[in-house]
Amino acid sequence: MNSKLMIDIGSTYFKVAREGEIEQYFRDFNRNIFDDLSGKCADLLKACRPEDIHICSSANGGLSTLIIGLTNSFSLKYAINIAFNSGINIIDTVLYPKIEQEPVPTEMIDVVIVVGGIDSVENVFDEKLPAYLEKVNYQNIVYVGTKKSVPFLQEHIENLVVLENVISDKLKIREEALKTYLTDLYQADIMGKEDIKQLYGITVNQIFSTPYIVNRSLSRISEHMDVADPFIVVDIGGATTDIHYSRDLVNDNILTDSGYDRLVFKKLGVFKSRESLVHTAKNNEFVFELLEHLNVTENILEEYSEKATRTLMQLAIFLVLYKVSKHHASYIELNLEILNSIVLTGGITKVLTQEEVDDIVLFFYRKILHFHHAPKILLDHNYEIWTYGIKE
Amino acid sequence: MKVVTGVVGNDIHVVANRLIDISLEERGFEVFNLGVNTYLEEFMDAVIETDADVLLISSLNGEAEGWCRDLKILKSQYDFRDVVFMIGGNLGVGEMDPELIVPKFRNYGFDLVFHQVDLNEGLDRLEATLEARK
Repeated sequence: MNSKLMIDIGSTYFKVAREGEIEQYFRDFNRNIFDDLSGKCADLLKACRPEDIHICSSANGGLSTLIIGLTNSFSLKYAINIAFNSGINIIDTVLYPKIEQEPVPTEMIDVVIVVGGIDSVENVFDEKLPAYLEKVNYQNIVYVGTKKSVPFLQEHIENLVVLENVISDKLKIREEALKTYLTDLYQADIMGKEDIKQLYGITVNQIFSTPYIVNRSLSRISEHMDVADPFIVVDIGGATTDIHYSRDLVNDNILTDSGYDRLVFKKLGVFKSRESLVHTAKNNEFVFELLEHLNVTENILEEYSEKATRTLMQLAIFLVLYKVSKHHASYIELNLEILNSIVLTGGITKVLTQEEVDDIVLFFYRKILHFHHAPKILLDHNYEIWTYGIKE
Repeated sequence: MKVVTGVVGNDIHVVANRLIDISLEERGFEVFNLGVNTYLEEFMDAVIETDADVLLISSLNGEAEGWCRDLKILKSQYDFRDVVFMIGGNLGVGEMDPELIVPKFRNYGFDLVFHQVDLNEGLDRLEATLEARK
């Protein structure tokens, strides 16, 4: 057998796809990932050559990132965009002109990204940067700003990796070098994690992060599903919720190659980050109306039942749409008024019915946007979107 | 010399924006055109990222009055050395007295203000100002 075997290691399930058939397995947390996978899919793994096995994973938590940038509208915005599209979940930012007032992160940072200025600009960074970095506990540091600052930074910062500036001479985004660096770093991170690195025993191919693979699949979704651009893909998982969106939905200065970007809500999952989801829900002015619409009371948020999980998932859909709407100021604002399709993927598609999802989205569109109709909603029941991105 | 330009606020007068871009390039400026629908903060950030000498904001639908009100506050938050702040186009709406417009925008923090003035005349004045600053 020489057809491809695709494996996605999630925080709760792992999924195995071969010749259009997708199987899901609940993870046994008493065993490490490799043993669990080998036990459940022994025959399949034996039947495939290492070069035919492709793996993506979101189970190792991803890289934590600190981005230090010169301005919000360009340096920080471009670097955040590239980091999200590279599959990174945890991003903290520091605006360089205010670096002396910025708090220092207490936890270990996997990678610090420093960015600022087009290549012809001089004297962007000074002693304030090494002084701040001295207090930060980080493993890697990469510089993607003006060329003119390279000698100074190389002199003052140890192990600095210098890549092509992410800001072009015309002030546009240039993503390739940083994106490759971050995806390679993700692989190195996996190699450093005992639980996952054994997976390299069954494949010779690079293991990518699942969000990166899902983002790569977006340009191919219309070949498999009846979606119309502009669309969003919402992946509500156990720990985080991702939104992948067409750039047509955003009015800003970024133009990326793929045309699709990603945004993460790291505290809006329905299992591992359930508590913060409930906290966010309770602080939303529309949620009580929504609960009434769903014929449940606030007490449901404290329950642990199948019904409570369904309600939480419905709340998660509402909150995610709310957080990217114009009613909530955040990193990105999507023009949901022109949205044509919403694709829902992740564990949510196994729990909620099409009617329940339609109902909640229509509630959002009526209540928040004052529309009488909602975009077309598609459920990725088989959770197969990731397989479109892994096929190269 | 570097110039950051664009159309401020919810204004999509792209033709005027292109004409300004072309005219500036013909005069030998290095142009960073942020296009239409640009917020004031983006203009300021672009000046910082490019170390521009001039910020040239245009406005055709009269919205500049609302959008540029906070220029002084924003300027105080950045470290602009000798940047020339310039605005031009159709800067007023309705029955506004044209005599009041120029002082109003100067008070907002602009060095050069051109209300319904020919583009080339405005750019001549810009060049003269830059020359005088040398």
